[in-house]
Amino acid sequence: MYGRVLGVTVLGVGGHLVTVEAFVGRGLPSLTFTGLPGAAVQDARERIRPAVEHAGLEWPLRRVVVNLAPGNLRKEGPGLDLPIAAALLVATGQMKERTVAGWAFAGELSLKGELLPTPGVLSVAIAAARAGLAGVVVPEANVLEAAQIDGLRVVGAPTLREVVGLMKGSWSPPAIEPGTASPEVDAGVDLVEVRGQQQARRALEVAAAGGHNLLMVGSPGAGKTMLARRLPTILPAPTREEALEASQLHSVAGLLTGRGLLRSRPFRAPHHSISTAGLLGGGTTVFRPGEASLATHGVLFLDELTEFRRDAIEALRQPLEDGRVIVTRAAGSVEFPARFTLVAAANPCPCGYHGDQRRHCRCPDHRIQQYRQKLSGPLLDRIDLRLRVPRLTKDELMGADGGESSACVRDRVEAARERQRTRYAAFGALCNAHLPGPIVRRETRLGPGTEDLLARAVDALALTGRGFDRALRVGRTIADLEGADRVAPSHLAEALSYRTGFDGEEDLARAG
Amino acid sequence: MRVDDVPRGWPPGFGAGDERERDALLVLSSLQGITPRRLRRVAWDEGSASRCLAAIREGRAGSRLDREYADRVDPAAVWAGLEACDATLLTYGGPGYPVELEDLQHDPPAWLFLRGRPFEAGEQRVAIVGSRSCSALGREVAHDLGRRLAGAGVHVVSGAAHGIDEASHRGALAAPGRTVAVLGAGIDVAYPRSNAEMLDRILASGTVVSEYPPAVPAVPRNFPARNRIVAGLARALVVVEGAGKSGSRISVDHALDLGRDVFAVPGPVTSPLAEVPLALIREGATMIRGADDLLDDLGITWSPLAPPPELPAQERLVLEALTSPIPADALARDAGLSLSDTLTALLGLELRGLVRGAGGRFERTLRPAGGG
Repeated sequence: MYGRVLGVTVLGVGGHLVTVEAFVGRGLPSLTFTGLPGAAVQDARERIRPAVEHAGLEWPLRRVVVNLAPGNLRKEGPGLDLPIAAALLVATGQMKERTVAGWAFAGELSLKGELLPTPGVLSVAIAAARAGLAGVVVPEANVLEAAQIDGLRVVGAPTLREVVGLMKGSWSPPAIEPGTASPEVDAGVDLVEVRGQQQARRALEVAAAGGHNLLMVGSPGAGKTMLARRLPTILPAPTREEALEASQLHSVAGLLTGRGLLRSRPFRAPHHSISTAGLLGGGTTVFRPGEASLATHGVLFLDELTEFRRDAIEALRQPLEDGRVIVTRAAGSVEFPARFTLVAAANPCPCGYHGDQRRHCRCPDHRIQQYRQKLSGPLLDRIDLRLRVPRLTKDELMGADGGESSACVRDRVEAARERQRTRYAAFGALCNAHLPGPIVRRETRLGPGTEDLLARAVDALALTGRGFDRALRVGRTIADLEGADRVAPSHLAEALSYRTGFDGEEDLARAG
Repeated sequence: MRVDDVPRGWPPGFGAGDERERDALLVLSSLQGITPRRLRRVAWDEGSASRCLAAIREGRAGSRLDREYADRVDPAAVWAGLEACDATLLTYGGPGYPVELEDLQHDPPAWLFLRGRPFEAGEQRVAIVGSRSCSALGREVAHDLGRRLAGAGVHVVSGAAHGIDEASHRGALAAPGRTVAVLGAGIDVAYPRSNAEMLDRILASGTVVSEYPPAVPAVPRNFPARNRIVAGLARALVVVEGAGKSGSRISVDHALDLGRDVFAVPGPVTSPLAEVPLALIREGATMIRGADDLLDDLGITWSPLAPPPELPAQERLVLEALTSPIPADALARDAGLSLSDTLTALLGLELRGLVRGAGGRFERTLRPAGGG
């Protein structure tokens, strides 16, 4: 009495095919797992029998052994409930072995035999397609995400009973409805709604064009959050590979339930009380991607940057540098992609009104210093654009011109990105922001007069080596936006206007 | 005896003369409960520092806490502390005691600890006071006032606190010139600590004074008392920036009591930091627009700065359009230039030191176009 079906376990973002064998033999009624089952799989022991019986199927009152192969791979997640139940049904002759061949099964079971929404189904489908399987059976709620993979038959079943019916040919699934737009698209949001703040809008455009990280410093009410929310609307539309990778991360985190691929770039704005594990990913047995990974190919917005836990902020350095996160726990280590554009916002001082026109800041100097020191130098070094956003007066708001729409800006951004892609094909970088300092200095061609301006700026503004590189990188992006081959003095001047977020930063640097 | 019946100043030779008298004064300087006014009344009753101290010890004057405290203070230790930081003790009316302080009617200090360069008769001093949390513009105005005054040979007096105090001291040091820091803490205490480096520089060329013996920590209630010495030492007092209810107001009241000239630097009527200076101007203080006005009013001659050189056309346009602190995009509109050209011009002006960015806006610096 032996049955065998295929399931998929998801480690990190990748799905791995698992062969689930069931053997029903003599002995006291029991259910035993072998083959490195994780905690969630062990849980299945108590779930599967009620689920099978509730579906009107028979549970053998004999000794059942379930083996998960390969034995050296740790099996995680509740998605193995369905293949385990299916293997048992094959072993007891309630399903035919030849009908299950070529299918992979995934899904968590309830005690009533329902198939519950399960994280990582997109990864399951990708793994099944890569292994050349004909189809996958997944919970009904996850059918849209699995349906994104071409050449794979996807069936969404509401309960275990339908799965058996499908294999017998007595049940056929309904046609898959096309997915609804993902809620990541803030449909109503557009850059055209921002009044005034031309310089901040421009900084967003530069950030989008060169992939630069951005820090906005300003008093409450200056419009930092409003601006940040509009950055995804001017980023180039994601390619299919980008959309797939971002969707896979969302799927693993269980955020894609009921939806198809992400159609726009993600915008993640975690609250400042978030833990390091929440930001970078973690978990003790089941690894879950953090906000940094969920923002992949999109924007990670950290409002009130100085309020975040210091260790969480420090830990962001790895993804900012490598575009990935490695989560290591006792149970093993897992790698998640995490390549995002960081947009951070901060108040200029603890009370928020330092340098404001109308409200007096009462923070003593040393408190302001302490406050700014919370932002570590290494993190700031990875932020190319820093901008002070003024709180506009009513008159300034009323007098301001409306700006361009997001679509307008996005066209320029896409053209600028294209220039960078062709230029940097040899360096494996996609945009100016990802170019290492030495290469920036070697490869950036300066127009007449730019060198001279740069030399004056280094002296008068006390530019550090890194500040110098940042100015070149940003200047390069501004030149790309104009379609210029060389960085002209005006490009560099604009780049230098994005060099400090906090007033007096340079004075402090000079004094120290 | 009512305060008004007390004669002016302190009894002749109070705390001076022999070592016993000096030690008694050192103990009195360490008391924290009794105010200078009350002590002065006791002093006139008793006649000398040692008898004053005896009165406190016997319970005829001061509080029980004063008595207990007086028993614990070791004058030899205080003296050792003074010697350790190379401080001298000045007594009222004694050698080196600045006569200007005798103008303080109710509470001239009976003693003063001094480090650095001693006071000299006939030297000109001007006090600069203002907010600790000042704006970038206020900092620059105070720095410039300090620099120009010191450059003209006037000694700059201020309180060694953050903000305007610090900027005016630093301006005087940059001249280079002399400056006097009046501490609200012990004579050897660097407070705020981040200004320790500045105090060292002041000591090298100028003067640090305090009413408090070594190691007395800075407590806010000492600061108003410190302000009377700041006002007393100077012939004129300049208020740069101050929000309502600030310490600057106390300094001004002392200066008015003393009959000193009070000057105020105006700011925008909407700025909270301009509250005190604008109120003072309305009450009759002399409005100054900067160091030139102040030096003129003080009757100090100065030579005008070099005329401004020509600016490139776009920078001139931008500078002309820059009338009040304004974001770059609004400035671009006013100047009729593109944002990119405006930013280029602004960087040029910034490199020339004519413009600065503050709070996401741009504003002119004090320097006349091209000068300095």
